[in-house]
Amino acid sequence: MYETLVAAINMLGLIAQQSAEAGSTVAFPPAAGAALGVGIAALGAGIAEGGIGAAAVGAIAEDSDFFGIGLLFTVLPETLVILAIVVIFIV
Amino acid sequence: MNVISRDASNYSYVNARVRSRWALLLDADEYDTLTRMGPSEIARFLGESEYSPEIDALGSRHSGVDLVEHALNRNLARHFDDLLEWSQGTLYDLISRYLRKFDAWNVKTALRGVYSETDAGVIDDDFIRAGEFDDALLGTLEECESVESVVDALAETVFGDPLADALDDYEETGALVPLENAVDRTFYDTLLRGLNAATESGTREFVKFLQAEVDFRNIRNAFRLARSGGTIDPSEYYIEGGRLFEASELASLVENRDELVARLRESRYGDQLGPALERLESADSLIGFEHALDAALLGYADHLSHVFPLSVCPVLAYILAKEREVDNIRAIARGREVGLSGEEIEQELVML
Repeated sequence: MYETLVAAINMLGLIAQQSAEAGSTVAFPPAAGAALGVGIAALGAGIAEGGIGAAAVGAIAEDSDFFGIGLLFTVLPETLVILAIVVIFIV
Repeated sequence: MNVISRDASNYSYVNARVRSRWALLLDADEYDTLTRMGPSEIARFLGESEYSPEIDALGSRHSGVDLVEHALNRNLARHFDDLLEWSQGTLYDLISRYLRKFDAWNVKTALRGVYSETDAGVIDDDFIRAGEFDDALLGTLEECESVESVVDALAETVFGDPLADALDDYEETGALVPLENAVDRTFYDTLLRGLNAATESGTREFVKFLQAEVDFRNIRNAFRLARSGGTIDPSEYYIEGGRLFEASELASLVENRDELVARLRESRYGDQLGPALERLESADSLIGFEHALDAALLGYADHLSHVFPLSVCPVLAYILAKEREVDNIRAIARGREVGLSGEEIEQELVML
């Protein structure tokens, strides 16, 4: 799973490098960069939520009082995506 | 540490549930209350705790200590079956390997029961249905007429060949010890067979945990032998797989107890074993030492489960703690039945 992710990012780096060598002033369209950033951040958040969600469901199955706190911790990595969205407004 | 398990094990889910069940185990205060109760009060107390399904189910057929005993066994089986139901992938494989110790227990129960010509129903009550054996096999075992037929019935299982080999010894001596030893050794042999600790991340912690358990078992056997001072060859009882002793070392250490104690104090378990060793030196009672040893193993298991939170360790530590709780409650119920005082019973309990 991580291997594919790293390979994908490597490839993106190569594309950016090649277009820089081709001589255009902007190596990579800024909007595309921002979109990629949000996408990758969401992917990371998803990976993190997978484990937390599984643990939260386990805890809720044993004791339904954990519902609130379980939900809170499950969506905590989502803040990463919100921070990534800020980038869209900057570029 | 593995953030996402690559082997499709669901460590986070299982560990969350295990931790939650862990929190339901009795604490020192509740033990304190229990030691002051009579057998029927204990049954009622358990009926209001998480043992209530078992107490309710068995309440009409049994009473007093028998009710407590059977409810404890059933509760144990229910919780450990749950563990297998939740887990997937490597985690499932590891837990089922470990729970095979109840198969070993059931084989021993069957052997002892048949040997002493106990009724099938009584043997059946003593089975703990948490292992791999299904009801059909257990049913066959309890109906057996002789020890030989028990061994025959087990021919298809992992215990088959070792038991068949030990049967000659049994027939020569008429004692069950060779057969029981064969069962124990088979269990530990199959436990670690085919696991590659160096490469697979999930099994590394499992192997570490079991090495500790094997070490503790060897320590206990060493002290028992040192104590009995008999002519038994210690390597007969040595279990492979630990990291602390070699079989040859054990033989010389058994003869020199001070050296054995010093060796343990320097070992990796020194921190946990400290109180146990002091207790041995001051009280010089083997039972006290063995309880302290059990507590030390619990402590070490707990330690491992904190060092490797997303691994099989918390599950195994829970299994140990749960077993210990069941043993404790049984000791309290039996102790109260024969009229021991609260203090005497407390000495028999193993607590962290």
